[in-house]
Amino acid sequence: MTAEGGPALPALDAGTAGNHAPAGLAERTRAPRLRTVLALARAEAVLLARSLLVLAGLLAGGAVVWLLIGRTEPLWWNVGWRIGSGQLVLGMAVLAAAQLAAGRARRNAMADLYASFPATAGTRTLAHLAGLAGAAPASLLLIGTAAMAVQIRGAIGAPSTAVLAGGVVLVIAAGAAGTAIGVRFPHPLAGVLGALALFLSSGQAHLPGGAIWLSPWESFSDQLNVLPGPLAGYPPGGAHAAELAGLTVLAGIAALALTVSRAWARGGLAAAGILAMAVTCFAGAVQLRPLPAAELNHLIAEVADPASAQRCTTASQVRYCLYPGFGSLLPSLEAPVDGVLAHLPARPSQPLTVRQAVSIDFTDPSFTDPSLAHGHPQRQVAQWNAQLQKAPGASAAASVIYPVAGSWPAAGAQLADAHFDMALAAAEWAVHLPPTTPAAVLGGQCAPLDQAREAIAIWLAILATHPPAGELQSGLAGPGGDVTPVVVQGVTAVAWTYPGESESYLSSPGPQTTAAGYLLANAMTNLPQQQVAHVLKDAWGRWVDWHTTDAHLAAALGIPMPSVPSLPPGAANAPGPQNPLCTG
Amino acid sequence: MISRSPNIENTGDGPPASDRPVRPALRYRLSWVRAAPLLARHIARTTPWVTLLAGCLAGTGYLSALARFTGGSQPLGQGNVRLAFLPAVAALAFVPRAPFRPLTQTTPVPAWVAPAGQLLLAAPILAATCWAQLRIIAHTIPPHSLGQPPAVYPLVAQLTGWCAVAVAAAACVDRSRYADLGGAIAAPASLAVIALAWYVPASASLLADPPATAHGVTIAWYAVTSAALTLTCAAMRDQWHRYSRSLHRQSSPERAPSTPLRLP
Repeated sequence: MTAEGGPALPALDAGTAGNHAPAGLAERTRAPRLRTVLALARAEAVLLARSLLVLAGLLAGGAVVWLLIGRTEPLWWNVGWRIGSGQLVLGMAVLAAAQLAAGRARRNAMADLYASFPATAGTRTLAHLAGLAGAAPASLLLIGTAAMAVQIRGAIGAPSTAVLAGGVVLVIAAGAAGTAIGVRFPHPLAGVLGALALFLSSGQAHLPGGAIWLSPWESFSDQLNVLPGPLAGYPPGGAHAAELAGLTVLAGIAALALTVSRAWARGGLAAAGILAMAVTCFAGAVQLRPLPAAELNHLIAEVADPASAQRCTTASQVRYCLYPGFGSLLPSLEAPVDGVLAHLPARPSQPLTVRQAVSIDFTDPSFTDPSLAHGHPQRQVAQWNAQLQKAPGASAAASVIYPVAGSWPAAGAQLADAHFDMALAAAEWAVHLPPTTPAAVLGGQCAPLDQAREAIAIWLAILATHPPAGELQSGLAGPGGDVTPVVVQGVTAVAWTYPGESESYLSSPGPQTTAAGYLLANAMTNLPQQQVAHVLKDAWGRWVDWHTTDAHLAAALGIPMPSVPSLPPGAANAPGPQNPLCTG
Repeated sequence: MISRSPNIENTGDGPPASDRPVRPALRYRLSWVRAAPLLARHIARTTPWVTLLAGCLAGTGYLSALARFTGGSQPLGQGNVRLAFLPAVAALAFVPRAPFRPLTQTTPVPAWVAPAGQLLLAAPILAATCWAQLRIIAHTIPPHSLGQPPAVYPLVAQLTGWCAVAVAAAACVDRSRYADLGGAIAAPASLAVIALAWYVPASASLLADPPATAHGVTIAWYAVTSAALTLTCAAMRDQWHRYSRSLHRQSSPERAPSTPLRLP
């Protein structure tokens, strides 16, 4: 019996068998050991692939991916990284499953029984590590399913192989960590705690600067969803995959180090560990490097002066300007605008432009986002901030609509809301309602209180997009279920929240809509369309004048003024921010 | 033809078997109550203290480290407490366990006494953990900060609900074919249920604040707690396999003596 519990090798008697025996015996013992490892690895891989825990992790990972990308624009430079977040969840399950597998012998009090087998503990651990390949099918299935879903929804850009491969390596790394934990701590709680540690280190690390990439898979600190195009080195997919590979090797070495006892094996593991540590540190250093200034200059130019990068086309006398690669959005943007134009008696003199913009906090336009601008001197960052002050959307133009890049939904109810927002913005341009700059939102959007043009704009948007009546009606109630008051020049009115208003599909929101305007527009939709069109066409110039009231329009249409929901007690006199009146 | 009784003949000196059924074991239902104090020591010894404390300390240690390294620049909030309490919830899933259930079910003491006692012993540990974590985040809030901190009672209700879900999962797993794995199944299952409740819009509208209100969240989570405890009680019962010395069961062949024995 050897120290590890295996049978005594015949090589110990090699001195009596002659000089030819040791080499041949060494080869013969290596071959069965390799076969043993492969056979055990195959068995463990099948168990892992069939594990209910891994299946549950796969389903949960798919759900996470859908939650992250289901409502957003399918941009591959963003989606690829979000698939990794789903791989993180799958990795947590694989970690727990691998820990259960590695600790099976000790947990079932069969350590002595296993020690009597020919396969040593080191052999079994190696087999466990090799058996982690059983998690690869689940990981690849997750990637394939997500990629298919994204492509069906009309993906923009191309996937990054390095980022997607990094997700697979993450799952294997989590499994290796689970094996290392299970070899030392067979209790199942250790696997659960390991999975939680993996989750917390990835989603809750809040690391500064480029260090966000050092966590296994960061999920909330990047800006990928607002970029107008892929940015080289953001994220550092290749380096991150290398870091994860290094961590995988280190975890495997730790697991083996706990189970092998021979000096030469431990020496080899130490050397491999040093090499793996070097690779991991090098990959980490690469990830911490700041992004090239040239790349950031190009990004700032795209954001601050989109005309220099966008491609424009004109349809129905409306100019559409989109970033490269976003051409597939054109039909989706045209549809609501054309729906409004089809019912317009007359157009304003200034033509309408639809220009994509990047979502930036224009109340504080800064490029000090740690994950993008880290490592660059403050002077350079200040220059970029100055450039951003001139970005479109910071000072909204009356004849320009700014759909936000990365926020336009692909399908579903969100797309319907986005269409309504676009139609309403086009209608507000048509009736000369002024847009609101994002900076002015803090001070209060202007409100077209008791102005007929507001009702006309809402009516045009409803005709163009046909939203569900229930969704429009629900805008009368605020988040708490009560009506929301809005104070305009000392007069308290009831506000109306249109579908998608809170989703920021457009960079510059329009005026604050009122319940009176919506209710009158709703009443107009109950009239024959020709009748309303005739009334509007006869005196279009008068209807778009801000002095013309809702009562005038209702009288011209021959309908009574709809009753507005009453304000809650005390709301009429409650102090609050004042909204200016929309004039001009 | 002579009809024979299927019973063996009493050839020894033992008293003849009575024809009346044995009276229901009423005295056995109450006798275990007298044994409860004696069971307390056994229950305390069989409670997985190391597992429970490991989970509680892991979460508290994580929160302490987070407070030390980031609390100075950014105060911690109730969201951090929720994350830090997850290891304790996972550890709780390993606590209720009826050892050797097929054997304990034959004893006069119901099998649920042991896991119920273990849960009662674990409750103060969890309460202390919650209190410690709330104190940690309270220390990170500057003394003169504007505005009042959010109310704690919805958070307490939520953590209580989480614990109840974990206990219910553990009790159900203990009665399933995966009983030998116990908490290894119950812990991930309960964490998955918690994640679903948090992220699925339908449940989040009731159980997460926002969009639900503090009162609504509290009521909802205590309702979840009640439902989970009901499920736990139902899962811990052992009436299905309770040993009963009923002669009705023993005398079931006498009811139909002429029924032929059918071989498969």
